[in-house]
Amino acid sequence: MSVAAPSLQAAPGVRDSAPLVRVRDLKTHFPIRRGVFSRIAGYVKAVDGVSFDVHAGKTLGLVGESGCGKTTVGRTLLRLIPASGGSVEYRGQDLFAVPRPQLRRMRRSMQVIFQDPVSSLNPRMTIGNIIGEPIQVHQIARGKDRDELVASLLRRVGLDPAYASRYPHEFSGGQRQRIGIARALALSPEFIVCDEPVSALDVSIQSQILNLLNDLQRERNIAYLFIAHNLAVVEHFSDEVAVMYLGRIVERASATDLYASPKHPYTISLLSAVPEPDPRPQRQRIVLGGEVPSPSHPPSGCPFHPRCPLSLQAAKNANAKDTVEIESAGARLRVLRICQQQMPPLEQKKAQVGHVAACWVSQ
Amino acid sequence: MSPLLEIDKLSVAFDTEQGRIVPVNEVSLNIYPGQTVALVGESGCGKSVTALSILRLIPQPPGRILGGRVLLDGRDLLSLSERQMRQVRGKDIAMIFQEPMTSLNPVFSIGDQITEAVMLHQGVSRGQAWRIAEQALDDVGIADPRRRLREYPHQMSGGMRQRVMIAMALSCQPRLLIADEPTTALDVTIQAQILELLRDLQRQRNMAILLITHDLGVVAENAEVVGVMYASRIVELAGVEDLFDHPRHPYTEGLFRSVPKLGNLSERLATIAGTVPNPVHFPSGCKFHPRCDRMQGDATCRDVEPTLRQVCPCHWAACHHVQGYAQAPVTPVDLSHRRVTQAVATEQPDLLPLAKQEYRS
Repeated sequence: MSVAAPSLQAAPGVRDSAPLVRVRDLKTHFPIRRGVFSRIAGYVKAVDGVSFDVHAGKTLGLVGESGCGKTTVGRTLLRLIPASGGSVEYRGQDLFAVPRPQLRRMRRSMQVIFQDPVSSLNPRMTIGNIIGEPIQVHQIARGKDRDELVASLLRRVGLDPAYASRYPHEFSGGQRQRIGIARALALSPEFIVCDEPVSALDVSIQSQILNLLNDLQRERNIAYLFIAHNLAVVEHFSDEVAVMYLGRIVERASATDLYASPKHPYTISLLSAVPEPDPRPQRQRIVLGGEVPSPSHPPSGCPFHPRCPLSLQAAKNANAKDTVEIESAGARLRVLRICQQQMPPLEQKKAQVGHVAACWVSQ
Repeated sequence: MSPLLEIDKLSVAFDTEQGRIVPVNEVSLNIYPGQTVALVGESGCGKSVTALSILRLIPQPPGRILGGRVLLDGRDLLSLSERQMRQVRGKDIAMIFQEPMTSLNPVFSIGDQITEAVMLHQGVSRGQAWRIAEQALDDVGIADPRRRLREYPHQMSGGMRQRVMIAMALSCQPRLLIADEPTTALDVTIQAQILELLRDLQRQRNMAILLITHDLGVVAENAEVVGVMYASRIVELAGVEDLFDHPRHPYTEGLFRSVPKLGNLSERLATIAGTVPNPVHFPSGCKFHPRCDRMQGDATCRDVEPTLRQVCPCHWAACHHVQGYAQAPVTPVDLSHRRVTQAVATEQPDLLPLAKQEYRS
């Protein structure tokens, strides 16, 4: 089955010259091994044909529920996990083709901030060594110069430079995340993958960290790939947003456009499910049936069809021959035949330029 | 109407290596039949310890209940024998936890785990217990309950496990359900399903819920009464609309402002300076004063700990700088008339206007 090439025109306001990071048809398939001889019995298609651009100084938000492949995208494009297909270009250079020594140099400008500020810092190293290690490894500074650099980084992320001699367990979650950010900044990167950087933090700390990341972006023109499951945080933080479902991007648009007029029924359901901090809710809620299917056995056709409220509603108006009965979460439902049989391409919808969604039904 | 559960000046201490900490300090709260009361706060504020203390589930030692009463229908749970307490747990008051993986036993089937409690509390035969368990799974929307009863926790997804936990908790028809972060580990679409389910079951059974959470959205949509906890005390208590419309305590105010909301596109988020204080070294006076921007440098805030005072008929706040009634009748707080479950639309909205022309007629 052929899938039309996704339209990659950037949304207005996001466009500038060449993108900093260009991801095309990225695939990460993990083998499932069975039996004594570890025979490959199938693949978990964690990421299955993902394309996007990240522009210098801008933020692309990547949202989706657990298991949709958003974290794997971040790790694959940094070559922390081998890709099964597709390409990633960084400043026009094919990242998957460059030899190791050169990759190492390129990694200076590409950093990552992890979700869990406890397990991502080595408990046996002082803060000074954690932040100073990359500076030394990449031979940027040593000795006294290094210590001064570390002190200035600590000051920049809002910590006392005297903390350099302390160990990670002496700090709170928010402070540890600041240390993680200081480490990522140590090599003056142009691009940072932020993998759920605030989801482990309390609300009052979360906003401090988000503001810090925002300030740093403006000061240093850093581009972020901001991976998160919290839609409100992503809206606040991103210039452009891509929504993932079962290893694929199902909708991509500028943040304003995506939140103002979402086109994909999954995006709509996801947005409607966010609890509003308002005791008199205005929004109508869509409660999706069933759960996210396993990526080792994705449904046929459009992977969202067994839960799709739009296909269900459209099937009520369609000719019987164009619909098909399916079983989903213990119920028998009638959806459009095309949704069950063919994968919809990521195509331009009737909205702003650069607003693409993968859905047969929505316009 | 008299409250189902009355928590009266409950204080709990833990002896740690760094010294004694008091994670729950003179907490008072009433829960009426059929009502949802939420306790919100950030990690370490004492909300979970409060919940565990109600069921006397804190390890003693190092934990110790310093004082106060927990009355269920007027009977003080803190003075019951362990044997009598076991009659209450699971039967009158049930609890569900955040992590459904660790709170289910991995080596017993779902059926074994549900029927154990049913046989214990209802004195029914094994066969009857399995039928009750089957009905319980059916009630929480699990398809094919008979087959599911024979499965083990690892065979289920997170959302499914939380449904099983709810089925187990509700199998003995408790009058109060304590839900400690019931949806924190779940994705938003699954969270919506689970909260919907809890609301439905609550309506059918007139069950009260004590909802422990840090998510203000979950609070707004599910609770009628909200207590905001900070550094082991309730610092504000009010009906949900009052609280969200007019937060009185500077901490609550700061919390509301710092949450990113959908559709709010301001460049910067408001923040609360500093971090939650360590319970070993709580600040003197008002525990929020080092982070408070309302009255920086005020000597009263620094030296005197404020108590909850009534600021309007159903709104209490513990701050020296809120205008309130002069002398307030503070405890126990009566919010029994707050029983308006807001209508969160349950029917699916019409999505067809989004569809291409050919699918619309």
